[in-house]
Amino acid sequence: MSADQSFNPFEMARSQFDKIADLLDLEEGARQFLRTPRREYHFTIPVKMDDGGVRVFQGYRVQHNDARGPGKGGIRFHPQETIDTVRALSMWMTWKTAVVNIPLGGSKGGVICDPHDLSPREQEAICRGFVRQLARDIGPLIDVPAPDVMTNSQHMLWMLDEFEALHGGRYPGLITGKPVGLGGSLGRTEATGYGVVYTIREALKVLGLDPKKTSASVQGFGNVAQFAIDLYQQLGGRVVCVSSWDQSEQTSYTFRRVDGVDLEALRGVTDRFGGIDKKRAKDLGYDVLPGDAWIEQDVDILLPAALENQLNSKTVGKISKQVKIVAEGANGPTTPEADAVLHERGVFNIPDFLANAGGVTCSYFEQVQSNMNYFWEMDEVLSKLDVKMTGAFHDVATLAQRKKLYMRDAAYVIAIDRVASACHDRGWV
Amino acid sequence: MAETLVPAFSRSNDDPAVTRIGGGVAGGKALGLAALEQKVLPAIDHTGLEGISYVIPRAAVIATDVFDAFIKHNNLVSLAQEVAREERSEVADERVRQAFVRASFPPLAVGDLRSLLEFFREPLAIRSSSLLEDALEHPFAGVYGTKMVPNNQGAMDARFRELITALKFVYATTYFAEARAYRHALGGQMPDEKMAVVVQRIAGRRHGERFYPCISGVGRSFNYYATGHAQPEDGVVSLALGLGKTIVDGGASWTYCPAYPKAPPPVNDIGTLLNASQRHFWAVHLGKPPVVDPMQETEYMLQHEVSAAQQDGVLAPLVSTFDAANDRLVPGLRPRGGRVLDFAPLLQFELAPFNEAISRLLRAAERLLGCAVEIEFAYSYEPGSPEEGELSILQARPMRVEEQALTLDDAALEGPGLLVASRAALGNGVRDDIQHVLYLKPDAFDPAHSRAIAAEIATHNRALVEGEHPYLLIGFGRWGSSDPWLGVPVQWSDIGGARAIVETTSGAMNPELSQGSHFFHNMLSFGVLYFSVRHDLDVGVDWSWLDALPALVESKHVRLVRCPRPLSLRVDGRHRLGVIDHG
Repeated sequence: MSADQSFNPFEMARSQFDKIADLLDLEEGARQFLRTPRREYHFTIPVKMDDGGVRVFQGYRVQHNDARGPGKGGIRFHPQETIDTVRALSMWMTWKTAVVNIPLGGSKGGVICDPHDLSPREQEAICRGFVRQLARDIGPLIDVPAPDVMTNSQHMLWMLDEFEALHGGRYPGLITGKPVGLGGSLGRTEATGYGVVYTIREALKVLGLDPKKTSASVQGFGNVAQFAIDLYQQLGGRVVCVSSWDQSEQTSYTFRRVDGVDLEALRGVTDRFGGIDKKRAKDLGYDVLPGDAWIEQDVDILLPAALENQLNSKTVGKISKQVKIVAEGANGPTTPEADAVLHERGVFNIPDFLANAGGVTCSYFEQVQSNMNYFWEMDEVLSKLDVKMTGAFHDVATLAQRKKLYMRDAAYVIAIDRVASACHDRGWV
Repeated sequence: MAETLVPAFSRSNDDPAVTRIGGGVAGGKALGLAALEQKVLPAIDHTGLEGISYVIPRAAVIATDVFDAFIKHNNLVSLAQEVAREERSEVADERVRQAFVRASFPPLAVGDLRSLLEFFREPLAIRSSSLLEDALEHPFAGVYGTKMVPNNQGAMDARFRELITALKFVYATTYFAEARAYRHALGGQMPDEKMAVVVQRIAGRRHGERFYPCISGVGRSFNYYATGHAQPEDGVVSLALGLGKTIVDGGASWTYCPAYPKAPPPVNDIGTLLNASQRHFWAVHLGKPPVVDPMQETEYMLQHEVSAAQQDGVLAPLVSTFDAANDRLVPGLRPRGGRVLDFAPLLQFELAPFNEAISRLLRAAERLLGCAVEIEFAYSYEPGSPEEGELSILQARPMRVEEQALTLDDAALEGPGLLVASRAALGNGVRDDIQHVLYLKPDAFDPAHSRAIAAEIATHNRALVEGEHPYLLIGFGRWGSSDPWLGVPVQWSDIGGARAIVETTSGAMNPELSQGSHFFHNMLSFGVLYFSVRHDLDVGVDWSWLDALPALVESKHVRLVRCPRPLSLRVDGRHRLGVIDHG
């Protein structure tokens, strides 16, 4: 799961965009406009550390496109964060909000830091410092941040509090992923993982497969993976392995139990970042395998739900012939080279910005609720999420079938066409 | 019916009428409807039925796995059990309801439920379909909850909330005191119950703020209680104006044999007919809920005078009018004179081939499903056009028909040692395991106190059930009547331990005794023997023998005794003769 330094996600995002722009025969102006983020903020965040020293953290916020509505996208805390990663992710957010047809644009933010090594007070200082730099450039009607890799509801609440202190008022619609009871939405925690499984369920219907007779291998054991496993098991499927990052050894492991993993038992030996305790997992009867072993399993569904660039030219050959579906819970887990191989093999792809759009869809619901200060019951949230995700899936699957397109391409065609049309209708291009 | 499959709901307008949400068992109600849709309706010859169309209102069954997931993920079993131990039943029921309503629906079902409302824009009936019910062939009607919701708000969110709350209410009723008592009487265990729920469009039409079918009915292809020329195989049909609740509750309805739709009613006295005729009907209320009471099945329903249907323009084909000058009933609606809902314009004048349509349905269902059937239906037409209507089929279930019958003759109704002798007994067979008799004291009985008596009966019933004493219940008027002046207004759970029931008349309580209502169908399903005894016509009840026994418990109105020996009960259902011997 270690990040590949030579991989540039922004180049990958642009290459994907260019391919679809050709398919759509997009005019040059629109093409240039959509290849490039509208705004980028690069800034530093000085923090007085607990040991008395001062560290300066690098922060970014990229607003790729807001033609369809205020920008939307998470804030990542990651030691290997790069501006190109944030650019790519902001562009993917634009496509993601468009493919599920919610009235938002695409943004992303990040801070180069490792929360594992930071005290809560230091993390709070980063959050407040981040907002102080961006207080004029984000807001409920401008750009709405959310939690992402290694950030959570507590971080969001610190950021909201800082924003409200600066602006002198209550603006719960500024940010999503807030704790329930403080402007958060029920179902937000489950939304991304559940959303992935809503699309898997529909894909199984398209392929005529009985969920109860399928199995899956999952990369990662964070929030997305855990709730995806939960719902997939409710659907009757069997998850044979998960992988997770070992912070102390700075590498990842795969934990396998062929009869099916016991989600609750594994949660009991997992830290708050999704790291599974190797020894205790062994005691529970799991095989502990190398980090990439999740890719090689004889399963029907691969569910990468951690970092980008995991299914690449080096690993794609290891994928079992039994695999029929790749559901991309993570952002950008499949490189174009691996994508071509999977397409050739006839593997059904549920592209990342469709599969994991449950998170942003529920964030949108949270923002709607926050802006009107009226909050829905869980049933309402999840029913709307299911309907939205299922509808988006079938829009894409129908186009893919009608135009004989690969699922990823069909999803891009729908999303980019919607965004390009919005830009055109506004008179921007 | 077991071979029928209920296809999955696919969020599409092209779905069949009956579909399934969830992957578990669909339950008897949905299977019955699916069997009708797939096997029976296509086989019915429509020749001569022009103008009438058979319809199965679109329905989706929420399969049992959704119920299981709901209970499990919200940890509701332990809560329900805890509440049941600690609190009085009505408080416990309300706490259970609140806990269920606050709980979340399984995430794999909510999207389908929301999508359902894209296609279901009419009022909806939400009914339980429990597996225990199917396994035991015991209809639990009235034990588990039913809700009718208007489903007419503009906002999808509001309609969704209404539907999901109604579903949770129906789920919650599985753990209500009445349902627990019912299962206890059956020897069933609470955790074993699994419930499917059928969500179905209510058949009917909108008339202002009222939504109802012109006719609701229950047809049975076999009739153990046939009278006159009718044979048991000719079946029996009961009809009422408005929603089927009137029939289900045992209210006033018109019962006839579909082989002889023009036969005169068993009661020829016009005064009695006028008095016994349906006076009120139920409709879904599309306006503001009359009373906010989520515990009530009738939360979104209103009962109206029959005259409201006249205003709506649909009454004329359903009534006869009393012609005082000639002392007779004239089919149809006349400006003056009392009305009897005898459906004469349809059944006697054959304004529409309504009876033929019902008969063909019952015959086809019995033939193709391989058993006697009970079918609930509704008939709706536009004002002034009864000849063009929709015959909607709402439920179909197999009937329990005894193969072995006991034979009695008139001589058996006389002689020493008889406690009860009846010429209007229901059920079949012999019982000799009853030693306790709970009865209303004939000298002290006063209809003004029938509500209090109902509560007292319920208390004794609980004690007898706990003591595992099957008992004989004897009282005046119609057991379970909603009108306290016509009988003691008990619920089934109040008398669920009775294994034989006598309803008799007295000078103070002398109504037409009840027959064949849904309430009694339930009792017969339990093998409860029923004896109807008119004090002025029959041999009656040997009160003096009962009064001579020492009382185990005695109050002003009620007495409980234990007989020195078990009673001998015999009922010949084909001849409707029944005796109870204290020999």
